[in-house]
Parts: sequence; structure tokens; C-alpha cells
Amino acid sequence: MITATDSGSAPPRHGPAHYLRRFLANPAGSIILVFGLIQIACIIWALLNPNDFRYLSPQNLAILMRAVPVLGCLALGVGVLMIAGEFDLSVGSVYALTAIVMAVQVTAGMSGFLAAGIAIAIGVAIGVLNGLITLRFNLPSFIVTLGGLLFWRGAVLLYNGAVQVRFDPEPAFTAIFAGTIFGLNAAFLWFLGLTFAFYMLLHHHRFGNHVFATGGNRAAATAIGINTGRVKIIAFAIAGGMAAVAGILATARVGSVQPGQGTGLELQAIAACVIGGLSLRGGRGSMIGVFLGVLLIHTITNVLLLIRAPGFYLEMFIAVLIVGASILNQLIDRRGRA
Amino acid sequence: MAAPLLELHGITKRFGALTALKDLSFHIGEGEVIGLLGDNGAGKSTTVNLISGIHKPTSGHLSVDGKQTLFTCRTDSADAGIETIYQNTALVDDLSITRNIFMGRERTNALGFLKEGEMREIAMEVLNSAVHISGIDSPDKLVGDLSGGQKQAVAIARAVYFKRRILMLDEPTSALSVRETEALLSQVLKLKAENVSSVLVTHNIYHAYQVCDRFVIMSHGTKVFDVAKADTDIAQLTEYVVLT
Repeated sequence: MITATDSGSAPPRHGPAHYLRRFLANPAGSIILVFGLIQIACIIWALLNPNDFRYLSPQNLAILMRAVPVLGCLALGVGVLMIAGEFDLSVGSVYALTAIVMAVQVTAGMSGFLAAGIAIAIGVAIGVLNGLITLRFNLPSFIVTLGGLLFWRGAVLLYNGAVQVRFDPEPAFTAIFAGTIFGLNAAFLWFLGLTFAFYMLLHHHRFGNHVFATGGNRAAATAIGINTGRVKIIAFAIAGGMAAVAGILATARVGSVQPGQGTGLELQAIAACVIGGLSLRGGRGSMIGVFLGVLLIHTITNVLLLIRAPGFYLEMFIAVLIVGASILNQLIDRRGRA
Repeated sequence: MAAPLLELHGITKRFGALTALKDLSFHIGEGEVIGLLGDNGAGKSTTVNLISGIHKPTSGHLSVDGKQTLFTCRTDSADAGIETIYQNTALVDDLSITRNIFMGRERTNALGFLKEGEMREIAMEVLNSAVHISGIDSPDKLVGDLSGGQKQAVAIARAVYFKRRILMLDEPTSALSVRETEALLSQVLKLKAENVSSVLVTHNIYHAYQVCDRFVIMSHGTKVFDVAKADTDIAQLTEYVVLT
């Protein structure tokens, strides 16, 4: 073209402020920055006061690694669904239900691996059901899955009563899902692997592109030939399936299931996603952001525990984090569109 | 005479109590540029959506190459070689230009992973060749950061790249500058030379008169006038649009 610009010559010079802005405009930019700063602060503090603040002690790191995967798996599933433009409030209940079903089946003599497969199948089926109801009747998924939250929590009690169930699978099962591999907690490795898989799926696969298109502008996606209904149903199925995966990892670690476990986890998962830069309107966000959002929630929990702060500080901190992250994202969004 | 490329036969479309199209019939020949004219609410956009497969007719049917058919979704019309530039551009603001151009038609490997480098290169070429709009320097830009005219350019580039037989343009010039509009209209003529038909939906009779071979004028959901360019003039077309 005659009008082609001087693309061969050197790019214009930019100051550090320019690069900072560009970095922050990245969907995960602000969370990477905040996470990095908090980590640096914690590490410096821990190095200066190794006896008072045992952040870097092997025991503390092991606790962190064991704690992260459950919320992490829930948040990955919920995150994909949020980018597709829908919510799932039922994941906490599905997490408890699938874990109970798995534990009861193993107690009855079933192999742990088969029972885990059944748990994931149930999670996926509940997700698909949420999706079908949402789309068929054109309802907000918030309402449909609020129903799911109550219904499946009730189903836990209907299925096995308000009693704790022991989970005692074959040793291989425990080794694979809760053992130690190369000095790292197995569940944490699963979470790392799943994060990478979700990253590839969402950011470098056709399906992910359709998820972003569906959540970003459903009418446009439909007009261009994407089956947005199918994309949403698959996203619901992923959220349900990941709730079951979280249940498997938690149950393998603890060795028992409480019928009330997972209450409130659905909100924490959404919180992790929001902190990680996902838009509540859909179509925006990244899996790295979700990953760091989960780590950030657990880092702050951990720090407050280490300094022996009363529990209510945790909730207040998370609250500030959620609102702060939303404000930051909104500001970045507005400047990007200006 | 060979069967027309696409023909609408007695199409009626109702949305609840509202009848948007009423017994509409017309055809699009090979390499023909049609001006679809009419005042607001005449049913032009509904017609575009119907030919694009987004709306299904309440009654009546379409035929492609003389064979009766029905588009039930966008993919059906794409298979028939129809591309549409929508009035609202149908772009996703939070995705890059490249991803918007290939949205729903991504180039992937056997496992479904995106061939990002390849798509980026094509996007670059397409942006430079189709309708050159100044100010788009990178296909990695988010569409949400573009101006109205640039967005329209991306939508046009996408449709021009994927078109095979019919290009539908629904008010494509509304956000374009005079120069960009001229470029788009000459693009339509260039496609005609390549035997690609176009349907230009517009309020602007002068634009239509400049490039179209035939005019279909709609009013209240049906066709009121269908005339070749040789048999009419701007005054008569205006009269039909305004008075019917």
C-alpha cells in the first residue's frame, strides 16, 4: 500500500509510564503487579524476622500448597463460566455432594478411581443441567444456580444424612491425589497442571476463543456463526466437573467428608476470579489472573494466621481486596476505552 | 437463463404480533449488485438477517442455484457462500482484530489449537488490501480501542476475506468518511468483476445508484418496486422510497 507507514524504522521511544500502562491494560496485569509486590514484601519481612514471621519455613509452604488446590480448582471452572458470561453459585454444594457420593461408594467397596470418575460425571451432569435450565428458559444463571446451591446441599443430606463419611481408598489413590512428588504436594501439582491446561484451552484453543466471543458479545458471536448455547453449556459442564475435582483433592487430603463442607466456597471462587481481573459482565479475563487471585487469597489468609490475627480480619481483608480489584479494573478499562 | 444464485419465495416473517416481512420475493443473480432500499422499518435488516440465517422465515422459502433450501443458522448461509457486514458490525470489543476476523472460523491444528501466527499474517494482509483505513497499525489491537470507522473497516475486511458468492452490506457506510465510502463502493465493483454478487442495504440512494445494477425497494415488509438501473433514475427511486 502507498499509505503504509514506516514500519521498518525504529519504533517510537516510550517512557516507563507507557510500559506500566500497557502492562496494566493486560487482563492479568494488575493482579501480577499486586501479587508480586505482596510476595516481595512477605519474603523480605520473613528474611528479616525468620523467627517471628515463618512465611518461608518448609512447614508453612507445605500448608500453603495443600490449602490452595481446592479453591483453585473451583475458581478455574467458575472462571471459564464467568468469561462465557454466566455464574455458578452451586459449585460449593456440588463439591460436597460429589465428594460424599465418592466416599460412600468407596466405603461400599468401590475402587477410588472409579468413584472419582463417577463424582466428576455427576459434577458435569449437574453443570449441564444448570446450563440447560438457564438457556431453555432464558433465566439469569445467578438465579438458576442459587436454586442449585440450595437443592444440592439438601440432596447431600437426603443421600447420606448429616453424618461425616470416612474416605479410605486404595493407597495408590491417596498417593496420586494427596501424596508428595519431587517434594511438592500432589494436589498442588494437579492444580498447576490444570491451570496450564485451562490456560491453553482458553487462550490458545478454538473453544477458548468462542468462550471469549460468547461472553464478550453474544449477539455478534451468534451472527458470525458461533453456537453460543453450546459454548455456554460446555462452560457450565466445566464448572460442575471442576467442583467435583476440587472435592476429590480435598477428600483425598483429609480422609473424610463433612456434609456441610464447601459452604461459601462458591463466593470465594467468584472473589478469586474478580481479584484476578475477570469482568462480571463476561468476555474479559485470563486464567493466569484466576490462578494468582486464588494464590493471593491464600497468601493473605496465611499471613494473617502467621501474625495470629483474629479470624474476622481475614474476611475484611478479602472484602477490601475484591472491591479494590474491581475499582482498579474499572479504572484500567475506562482509560483503555477513552 | 441459469437459475439465480439466491431467490426468496414468498417470505413472511412475524415476531409475535408484528409482521416484519410479508410475502417478500426477489432474486440475486450471479455477479449482480442489488440495492435494497426503503425507509426505516421497511424490513431491510430483517431481510439481511434472514438471508444470513439468523432469522428463520415464518413461511416461504429460499432457493440457492434453483434448489429449495432453508437456512437455520449462520453456518448454513456461510456454507452457501454468503457473507454479511452487519449494521452493528458484530465485533467483540475485548478481542483483538485478528481474533475478530477469524471468530468462528479459526485456523487451527488437528487438536483445535489456534495457528496464531498464520492468522495474524492473514489479518495484516486483509486489513491492508480490503478497505484501507488509516490508523490501524497492528492486528493485535483490541477492537474496543478502535474508532467507529475503523471497526466498520474490520467488519468489512472480515466479510470480504471470507466471501465467496454473495456479500451482504447492511448500512456499511454509516460510520465511514467520504473517502472510505468511495473505497468501499469501488471494492463492491471490484468484487463484481470477480463475479461476486452484492446486496447493498442503504438509506443513501446516491451511493446505491453509483454501484448497483438493480434496485429492490421495500415498504412495510414487502417489495414495492424492482427495477434495473437502465430503466430508472434517482428521481424515480426517491419517489418510491418516500411515497410508498
